[in-house]
Amino acid sequence: MVRGSTVLHLKGAGGVSKALLDIIVCPLSKQPLRLCQETQYLISDEIGVSFPVVDGIPCLVPKDGRILDEKDNMRLDKSTKEPITDNNMNKG
Amino acid sequence: MAMRRSVATLIRNFRNVVPRSDLFLHSHATSFGFKEVREEEKSKLVGNVFSSVASSYDIMNDLMSGGLHRLWKHRLVSKLHPFPGMKHLDVAGGTGDVAFRILESIKSVRYRDVQGVLDGFGETQIYVCDINPNMLSVGKNRAIEKGLGDEQSLVWIEGDAEALSFNDLSMDGYTIAFGIRNVTHMEKALAEAYRVLKRGGRFLCLELSHVEAPLFKQIYDYYSFAVIPAMGELVAGDRESYQYLVESIRRFPNQETFAQMMADTGFEKVEYENLVGGVVAIHSGVKL
Repeated sequence: MVRGSTVLHLKGAGGVSKALLDIIVCPLSKQPLRLCQETQYLISDEIGVSFPVVDGIPCLVPKDGRILDEKDNMRLDKSTKEPITDNNMNKG
Repeated sequence: MAMRRSVATLIRNFRNVVPRSDLFLHSHATSFGFKEVREEEKSKLVGNVFSSVASSYDIMNDLMSGGLHRLWKHRLVSKLHPFPGMKHLDVAGGTGDVAFRILESIKSVRYRDVQGVLDGFGETQIYVCDINPNMLSVGKNRAIEKGLGDEQSLVWIEGDAEALSFNDLSMDGYTIAFGIRNVTHMEKALAEAYRVLKRGGRFLCLELSHVEAPLFKQIYDYYSFAVIPAMGELVAGDRESYQYLVESIRRFPNQETFAQMMADTGFEKVEYENLVGGVVAIHSGVKL
């Protein structure tokens, strides 16, 4: 039982646990959110919006969402489905 | 006597000013206490109220209700019948009052009866959702003071009751205590509650409601309009926020109307319990 609990509470740095990511969704599209490891933002890929995590508290109020622009390094590269970083930005 | 006359005048004047059609709405224009405001403005105005009152919220609750709010919340939690392993959502619960009580209730059940039988249930998770970050900060700090700072079961989320960020059919329980009258579109909040609840999940709403008994109503009106804003000014340094509070209670649908709204959303076994003659009501329903 104790082993099970540890697995559920593995946290990404900044305090968003895997268990939480499984249950929360984008408040606008109701689709799952992706945690961007570098910036610790929660990304709603379907609509291209990011939500901040402040002091370990995910801020998922619709008006807190920030629209990702094309060059945003939190976007997914459409062909490889990997986050766009400085290294691969010009290839996508 | 003078107060009663002026309260009656206040209400009469208000009725003359507001067109009848507006009394049936929960969209387009909306109420901020006795003022009419554009919808877009309400959430900002409410936000300002709660940012202002956050730090003295708990003290004021104790003062205004003479400590009774603790009993009311205790009653709410006992009606919920919390169980270990449950996934529960407390909306507009920023300072954590209800969440802490639910957690304590579950912990006492666990150790008393079901030691060793819990493996199949998964971890208890109580999500505290509030639209106001100041209220959530107060809640997080209170958790730390109570020694619950590292408690894995408590999860704090900033979110909007009208657009919840939880999956469909994910919650065993949903509570909203003294929060729903601050929501701009109550029907949306009810619909979202219905969406996130699992089948068999329970919805519970604790809210200030309507008093009908004649003499008691007058005493209550006097207390509301004369005493509470003055208390707000003395203790929290903010008369206007507490004026908003007492006005918003009068504008909230009465017990029967709110029960009907719940039924219209799809909840079944809708019932309500009046406490203190209707000063407070607990509405409950089940998603079947």
